Amino acid sequence: MGKYAIEIKNLTKNYGKNRGVTNLSMAVEEGDVYGFLGPNGAGKSTTIRSMLGLARYQEGEITLLGMNAREHQVEILRQVGYMPSEAWFYPEMKVKDAIRYAADVRKLDCRTESEMLCERLQLDVNKKVEELSLGNRKKVSIVCAMQHKPALFIFDEPTSGLDPLMQAEFFKLVMEYNAKGTTCFLSSHVLSEIKKYCRHASIIREGKLIRTDTVENLTKTNAKHVRLVRDGIEEDFIYRGNLNELLRDLAGHDVSDVVIEEPELEEVFMHFYEEEITK
Amino acid sequence: MVLYKQELKSNLKGFLIWFLVIVGMCFGCILLYSSVESSLSDMGDIFAKMGVMSKAFGMDRLSVATMAGYFATEIAMLHALGGGMFAAILGSNLLCKEEFGHTIEYLAVLPLSRAAVLVQKYLAMVSMLLCFQVIGILCYLGGFAIMGEKISAEHLWTMGVTQFLMMLEIGTICYCVSAFSRKNRMGAGLGIAMIFFAMDILCRVIPAIEDSKYVTPFYYCNATDIFTDVKLSAASIVIAAGVIIISLILTVWHYLRKDLQ
Repeated sequence: MGKYAIEIKNLTKNYGKNRGVTNLSMAVEEGDVYGFLGPNGAGKSTTIRSMLGLARYQEGEITLLGMNAREHQVEILRQVGYMPSEAWFYPEMKVKDAIRYAADVRKLDCRTESEMLCERLQLDVNKKVEELSLGNRKKVSIVCAMQHKPALFIFDEPTSGLDPLMQAEFFKLVMEYNAKGTTCFLSSHVLSEIKKYCRHASIIREGKLIRTDTVENLTKTNAKHVRLVRDGIEEDFIYRGNLNELLRDLAGHDVSDVVIEEPELEEVFMHFYEEEITK
Repeated sequence: MVLYKQELKSNLKGFLIWFLVIVGMCFGCILLYSSVESSLSDMGDIFAKMGVMSKAFGMDRLSVATMAGYFATEIAMLHALGGGMFAAILGSNLLCKEEFGHTIEYLAVLPLSRAAVLVQKYLAMVSMLLCFQVIGILCYLGGFAIMGEKISAEHLWTMGVTQFLMMLEIGTICYCVSAFSRKNRMGAGLGIAMIFFAMDILCRVIPAIEDSKYVTPFYYCNATDIFTDVKLSAASIVIAAGVIIISLILTVWHYLRKDLQ
């Protein structure tokens, strides 16, 4: 087992009487691409905000890149590239100002890297940020998170607002940095991108970690979302059995339409949630 | 000091608007003096005998018919009120704008400690208030020179320094309000400035609330008092310093602990 880029022990964070996360523990190995899955309000952002020092947690211990998150916040932030779920910048800034500002605070000259990133993301650096769409603001955020070649990426819902081409380019960049050693931790509620790009993942629901495993094991539920028209009757169900059996069963019927696809994340969650309850 | 420069840059437009409006108006009033001088000399006695109104605005001690009286009772008061309002708007917006403008996740994940954020933003406010006062007073000195009027530079600079302290006190109180809030508190800031201004006028005419002169920062920077050589109240200055220090301690205490969202 390698060293951990992220190590969280018994994290509890509440907002007054409102639940944030409860007794959450997880560890992300250096060099991993780690998915953090959960529906809206599950506690993904609270966990990330606690890691980055935006939220002050009540209990637990967070270690990032071998440093205690409370005691070495500035040094940690120097080595982290963070992309929030909603990217906002000072409205009076141009794109190039927002990017340069992030580099200036780090006292780094990131021009070569930022120019490469802007070119690949097709970002017009002379536009004012207040004129940008969410997708373009996310691109600025990607550049700000990557230009200083950090040791750890933390992305909160990184692909929301990006078109499919840019999503692909974004993950291509993530994989390139990962190949050079950058650990990537990304929260998402899009199962397919976690399945495609992450090696390990955790599932969080209602502030509690339900399961942590390799993505391969987590998605080994065999669950498929099946929609079909059998003998003139529309059916829509989650199938967890052997697909060959399903196909054999369907062969004896008049099937006019069939769609077999990945289940929605919520449906996968239900699977894990039911497991949790029966334990 | 990247954040300090950014704050100066982002507040430059607001600074210029307030400066040009307030100082421009005051400067214009100085230049207008010769054309209103004759009518003011007729009105000087009337203004001095308006009872509590004259007392409230110091016109019972300084005649508006003189340049010093005209400046202290009219122009300097306008400058103080405008400066106080500018300080209030500036201070009440500095910290909470990051949260209501959703830029906090851009700023707070840069390698800057929260203490550094507080220091750089506060220094930016102090710098702008200082510029407002220094350039403003230099403009007024220029105005007097153009008009060929002689006015005590010592009185003028004393006024400038005490008004700067007043602006700093209001700005710091509002900075503290800003640390405790996630919403735009410009209205609250302006309210604080206006209440202090009203308190200064009222405490001069209502004996029952005379002691509130120690509360309002407009009292110790009153230009009529300065131009009539009324001794500066040490208690007021000590209280002002105390208010600034307590506001800063509260700001730091809360901001270092709060959840930024």
